[in-house]
Amino acid sequence: MKRLFAIIPVLALSVTLIHGCGGKKAVNDDISGKATEAEPQAQDSAVVVPENAPISEAVTSEDLYGPAKTGGKYASLTPGDTLTLQAEKEGRLYTIYFDYDTYFIRDADKDNLSNNAKWLSLNSRVAVRIEGHADERGETEYNLALSDKRARSVKKFLEDMGVKAERLDAISFGEEKPAVPGHDEEAWAKNRRAEFMITRTN
Amino acid sequence: MITKTMAFLFAIFLLLPFVAEAKVYIDLAAPQAKKLPIAIQDFKPLVDTLRSDIRFSGLFNIIEKDAYLEDAALSGLTEDKIEFRLWRAIGADTLIKGGFSIEKDKLVVEVRLFDSVTEKQVLGKKYIGSLANPRRVMHYFADNLYEELTGRKGIFTTRIMFVSNRDGNKEIYVADYDGRNALKVTRNKSINLSPQWSPDGKKALYVSYKRGWPSLFQLDLTNGQDSAVSAKPGINIGGRYSPDGTRVALTLSGDKSPELYTLDLSTLEYRRLTDNYGIDVSPAWSPDSSRIAYVSDVAGNPHIFMLELATGAARRLTFEGRYNSSPAWSPDGSKIAFSRSDSGRFNIWVMNADGGGATQLTFDGNDRSPSWSPDGRYLIYSSTAKGVSALRVMRSDGTGSMKVETGTGNEKSPVWSPYLQ
Repeated sequence: MKRLFAIIPVLALSVTLIHGCGGKKAVNDDISGKATEAEPQAQDSAVVVPENAPISEAVTSEDLYGPAKTGGKYASLTPGDTLTLQAEKEGRLYTIYFDYDTYFIRDADKDNLSNNAKWLSLNSRVAVRIEGHADERGETEYNLALSDKRARSVKKFLEDMGVKAERLDAISFGEEKPAVPGHDEEAWAKNRRAEFMITRTN
Repeated sequence: MITKTMAFLFAIFLLLPFVAEAKVYIDLAAPQAKKLPIAIQDFKPLVDTLRSDIRFSGLFNIIEKDAYLEDAALSGLTEDKIEFRLWRAIGADTLIKGGFSIEKDKLVVEVRLFDSVTEKQVLGKKYIGSLANPRRVMHYFADNLYEELTGRKGIFTTRIMFVSNRDGNKEIYVADYDGRNALKVTRNKSINLSPQWSPDGKKALYVSYKRGWPSLFQLDLTNGQDSAVSAKPGINIGGRYSPDGTRVALTLSGDKSPELYTLDLSTLEYRRLTDNYGIDVSPAWSPDSSRIAYVSDVAGNPHIFMLELATGAARRLTFEGRYNSSPAWSPDGSKIAFSRSDSGRFNIWVMNADGGGATQLTFDGNDRSPSWSPDGRYLIYSSTAKGVSALRVMRSDGTGSMKVETGTGNEKSPVWSPYLQ
């Protein structure tokens, strides 16, 4: 019998019915909130909280080498190199703009794009990268696809004008590299664009 | 006599587990369930984490400390030391008490939940956790508490992943579900976008410009190993793991238009899913892997479509709104959350997986990229004000929206982790 008595307080944990039956030891608490546990009342055995699953930063060489490659075929996350700026300044390569959520060349831009094609024919050693961009309003992934379509529309137009495909490269930047800051139609209209970067001159 | 009493008590004891399980404190299935009133002893500094978890759950009505009649910190930690009538008097049907001590480099925490009506302890736990991250111990208790009261697994130890440009470049970050303990996991200083969790929570897919153009990479979060998954010419974006983690759905543009593909991660074979002149992006696998919801502009502007993988048949799901994007399948497969805009201002919506019953959840006009918690009760999304984006969470019915304080700034593209070990 005595043995059973001894078991009950331990087992019948949250049973208020048997208050007084067992010699349950209380838990001592102090004001600071420290609980010195004598014999816990409804105590599951202590749970060791696993550490957060480790999170590692990327450690491959690619990730450690800082900025992406500049110059060359898939260049530059820091556009605006001297050659490109010069060509733009002299009106040789126009930036092409687009309407919201569209990727066809507007009639208003066809003259500019034809001029770009002519300049490229006269400078037959020059290779360019066409960078497609979107304004900030759409969704990230859709904007990447939209900018890809814009860059390709421009590339296709130039190819149809006789520029060799191997001199043209297209890249999409989505909404990631706006030309101007601002969150209104004036800014957005300037950011929906395809820009030209000169990647090779001879 | 003693024998009879003993037998009686013993019988009751044997029955108790069943009796105790019969009490449902919070019925998640009940619509508009009444919130459970709860008082929480102030055992600083740990209690703030617990209080915010409990508030976030939306299932409790936390009774403020000013109302307490019993000094919770002075009274005992066990049911025989608590004046339950003083808690009943202020309407606290339940009471949480706890305390902690520090043993070497370990944090030892004791937390108990009492039913002040029956004057019984419902849950009692002692935890030994790392001093380095005391919040985690309380999240852990919150998970236990939630499961005890609702019968469902809690999400308080889950995590979120997102994009932030706090240091000038868009990099991928991982944080606790509440935004705390944010850690940058990419440092390539290019542009990193669209993070996704693997189904086991150990890997991340993301889009990066680190090779110069948008390609898809996989980062093993446990050891930092990083590798290219798809780096074809054109765009390689929007990678989403299949529910079993063996395949990735993605958009490639190659030489043509942005089309959807699946990529088998072991054979590295691509399978083309769409073929049209337009844009097809943002694939979302149904939890049973049979269908993929995605965004296409074949109807003129972005709408959500559904593709049956077995037949390749696509069906349009949305007909309203000028711009529908970011479909996200609820974990039980019944709903699809998405963002919709009529005039450039996006809000979060949810619809049935067949496209019916579309309901608007947010109205601020700058909310995008919804992602479900693994229990399907909550959504995290990004919300932009004055050009700066922040993360917010809300219940999946649109109530209880609150900001997630990651401390990183300009956060976008949040994704909620699966349950983590």
